[in-house]
This record gives sequence, C-alpha cells and structure tokens, in this order.
Amino acid sequence: MELPTGPGHRSSPMRPQSEDTVFDSLQFGEDIQHLISVPPENASSFTALLELPPNQAVELLHSPDSTLRTRTVIETHHQKPYLQPQFNAANLAFPTNSGLIERAARLSVFAGENLNNISNNSLETSSGPSNSSANLEKVVKSEPAEAESDLNPSQPLVSDPTTVEIGAQNQRPVKRKEREKKGKSSTKKSKSSGNDNSEDAEKLPYVHVRARRGQATDSHSLAERARREKINARMKLLQELVPGCNKISGTALVLDEIINHVQSLQRQVEFLSMRLAAVNPRIDFNLDSTLAAEGGSLMDSNFPSMVMPLTWPEVQVNGNRQNYQQQWHFDAVNQPVWGREEDSYNFITPENSLLSYDSSANSASLHSNQLKMEL
Amino acid sequence: MRAPQTIKQEFLKKWILGLQLCDFAKQNMSMLERKKAIKLSADIAIASTRNGMTCWSRALVAKASRDYGDKVLVERMLASESEKLKKVSSIGLIAPNKWVIIRSKKILRKSRRARRVRSSVPLSVLAKSIAKKMVKKRTQVLKSLVPGGEFMDDISLIEETLDYIISLRAQVDVMQTLAKATELLNGK
Repeated sequence: MELPTGPGHRSSPMRPQSEDTVFDSLQFGEDIQHLISVPPENASSFTALLELPPNQAVELLHSPDSTLRTRTVIETHHQKPYLQPQFNAANLAFPTNSGLIERAARLSVFAGENLNNISNNSLETSSGPSNSSANLEKVVKSEPAEAESDLNPSQPLVSDPTTVEIGAQNQRPVKRKEREKKGKSSTKKSKSSGNDNSEDAEKLPYVHVRARRGQATDSHSLAERARREKINARMKLLQELVPGCNKISGTALVLDEIINHVQSLQRQVEFLSMRLAAVNPRIDFNLDSTLAAEGGSLMDSNFPSMVMPLTWPEVQVNGNRQNYQQQWHFDAVNQPVWGREEDSYNFITPENSLLSYDSSANSASLHSNQLKMEL
Repeated sequence: MRAPQTIKQEFLKKWILGLQLCDFAKQNMSMLERKKAIKLSADIAIASTRNGMTCWSRALVAKASRDYGDKVLVERMLASESEKLKKVSSIGLIAPNKWVIIRSKKILRKSRRARRVRSSVPLSVLAKSIAKKMVKKRTQVLKSLVPGGEFMDDISLIEETLDYIISLRAQVDVMQTLAKATELLNGK
C-alpha cells in the first residue's frame, strides 16, 4: 500500500529536519509524537502527512487518528473488499485504495494537482492489489452476477421507496472493474466523471463496471449496460411507488400504468380545485400563529384544529343540504381524524365575527351552482 | 428523507399563504377565475416545497407565471422563497439553445419516419425494435405530462417522475381533506 505521489511532493516540506530523520529510526518516534500531538483536525496536518515518505505516512495512517477516518477505509479494505451490505457514507465501500487517495487529494491543502493525475496514478497502483486479489475476485464471480449489481443500486433506495432524494440516488454504482487495458478504462472513467462531479466528496468520480462472463467488454457496450442498469433500477422504484405495477413485467406496460397514474392525479387536482372554488363564495382566511405553532406535529392530528380557525361563511341550509351533511358526518366518523370534529364544532360559531360574509343573493346563486356540480 | 407528513404540512402552509394573497374580495370573480387562482396557488405551493431542487418544480413555477395573467401575484407568493424560484418566475425556464436542440431533434425524427425502408429483418430484431418504439412513444407521453419533461434525458426523467408523483399525491390528499372540511362546515 503505497501513496504513489509521496516522494514527488516533498518539494516544500513543512519541517526540513524531517528529511534527515527519515532514515533515522531513533527519531522516528519523536516525529510521530509531534505530528500526533498537533491537532489533526485541519487539512494542513494532513498535508504534512502526505509530504512524508510513504511508509511513514502509512504508519501514521494506521495510528489511532480517528479524525482522518481513513482507518475505517483501510480496515474495510482488508476485511470485506466486495460485499458491503450497508452503504454508509462514512464507510467507503470501494475495494481499492484509490478511494483513500481520492480523499487524501480532496482533503489536502495542496490539491493544486489534478484529481485526474491521482486517479491515473491510482489506476496503475491498483493493478498491484488487484492482481493479488484476483483470486478473491474469481470467488466472487461465482455468485450470480446480478446480486452485486442489484445489491448496490437497490440497497439504499429500496429502504425508502416513498421519499427519494435525487442526489442520494447517484451514490451507488460501485462495481468491481475487471479489465486488462487501462487505457480504455481511463477514458471511460473520465467520460462518466462528469456525471458524478456534483455529488458529495465521498464518492469517486468514475464508475466501476464489472464485465460479466460472456459479455462484451468494449467501452461502448459497458457504458450502455451501465446506463440500462441505472434506468432499470429507477424503474423498479417507480414500480413500487405506483400501485398495481408490481405484477406487470415489461417496460412499456409499466410506463402505461405510470402515465395513467400521473394523469389521474392531475385530473384529481383539477376537480378538487373546482370543488373548492364552488364551495365558497368568498374565502377569508384568518391565518395567524396557529399554523406556525403547529408546524412541528403531525398533520393528521392537527389538521382539524388548523382548519377550524379558518372560518367559512355560513351558507343557507336547505333540506337537501342537511341530509347531505349528515351523510358526510357519518362518513367522516369512520376516519379517525374527524373524530375530533364534534368537539371543535362548538368553537366555530363564536368565530363568526372573523367571517366576511357575502350577501345572501350571492350565496343562493352559488348554492345552485354547487348543486349542479355534485361530484 | 422527508416523511409525507412534512410535505403535506409545508404544502398546506404555503398554499394557505398563497390563497390569502389572492384577492378574493373582488366581486366580479367568477367561479372559473376562483378555480384558476386556487389551482395556481396550489401548484406554486407544491413546487416551492421542493425549493428549486428539482426540474419539475422550476418548470411548474415558470409555467404558472406564464399562463396566469397576473405575474405580480406569483411573485408575491414567492416573496419568501429561494432565489432560484424567483429567478425562474421572472426569466424563462430554459435557455434558447435548448429549444433549438429540441426542434432539431423533432426534425430528425420526422425525416427518419419519412424514410421507407423495406428490409427483411429477422423476427427477433423486429420484436426488439417494436418494443423500443413502444417504450419510446410512452416516454414521449410521459415527457409531455411531467412539467419540464422535454428537457430531461431518460434517467432524470424517471427520477423527476418519482418525485412528481409523490408531491402530486401529497397535494391531492391535502386538497381533498380541505374540500371535505369546507363542505362539512358549510353543511352546518
């Protein structure tokens, strides 16, 4: 495990004496003590770390310096290089130590050099560990190929199918790369780096794709496959969201269902706004601190109390309307939310002063409109 | 990870604020005008819960401020919102070069359709091409449904649809409860 850029960056060492002490094992301990005692929270100390020769830096990294969080990366690299069931933001699931180098580059102050340089360098260094762990890879290959590709994309997503943050969705695709030619791989990585630059700093700017057994390995088909898998993963989420799509197989039919669902929702919005426009001749909301105060609690429990202060003009009730209202009342009792309505009805009528009430002529015409518009 | 409850609460708050801004005091407001105002405030409220992060919310605000006669109302509603939304409502949504790209794609598509190629392809390839065409057609329809969909590629279209469906559901739920409540109260 070597930092490939170690010797190249000792152009301006922080402490010139350290160069002499590199080869002096007696003073080694003193240096470590000094560096550890310096508060390591800021990036400048990390810079100092990177300016040391590689073996010293590795030693320091292995030291209990938890703020760097690189220790977890190294540990996970040793223990579980491939299967990371929990995708933790602090727990980089990348099997190569290129993740470490990436984070080092990002955290360090002297990140004037390109990240590309580092990634290219890391490509060459990763060939070393990848060869040694090639046998591990063959073991993993025996698993169904879909398992890993599905594991990573769907794992953080399926856990929350209802609310999906779009930024979080792009954190996934980290599959193991298995290629001979690194020239092609670097072009592929730089191509897809544009997609991922906007993500958080934990993520590498390129996508590892595993070439499955018996499939083409040129960059075009790999890119297509990565794209298709992305689309399929998101389609699965959509299928879970839209009711009744689980049993359907085939993209076109699923899309049909989705389109129907969206259309029906949009139509519902139209009808509901028409209903609301019909119900009130005039709406005068007395919105005050009640809404702001109740912002923290659940809507269901508070909705009646929120609605009650919003007083509505009283409309003349004819016989029709009363029957209708009683029906509504019985329907409403079924829902637990409306159970509290009975209590709060008493409070409504004194609040008529807040109402702005139209003349009865208007309300009568509106009433007839409303009856015509029975939805 | 936003729970649906928080979406509904935010939406309700913003919607009621918007409804207050709408001037319902005018005597000449017909029912259609009222319905337009209600729908406009609902749309802007549900778009602002996303705070300009998603493409559909920005497109929705742009559309609302374009279609509604009075842009002042829209701007007043967005007075407290993030800068992105305000910018979107005042400028347009998309830079002109995007429109050029879309128009040229349409021209290409039409020219492709005009070509009559009678090639005897094997059945499997034919089936695949038919399936692709079906999917393509439905993607077009979905693009027309989701606000701002024409400017997105496939992947982000699906993401935006997901988000849009969730927000639409919250909007419908809140509006339904409010409509029921008002009808109930009116019955009294």
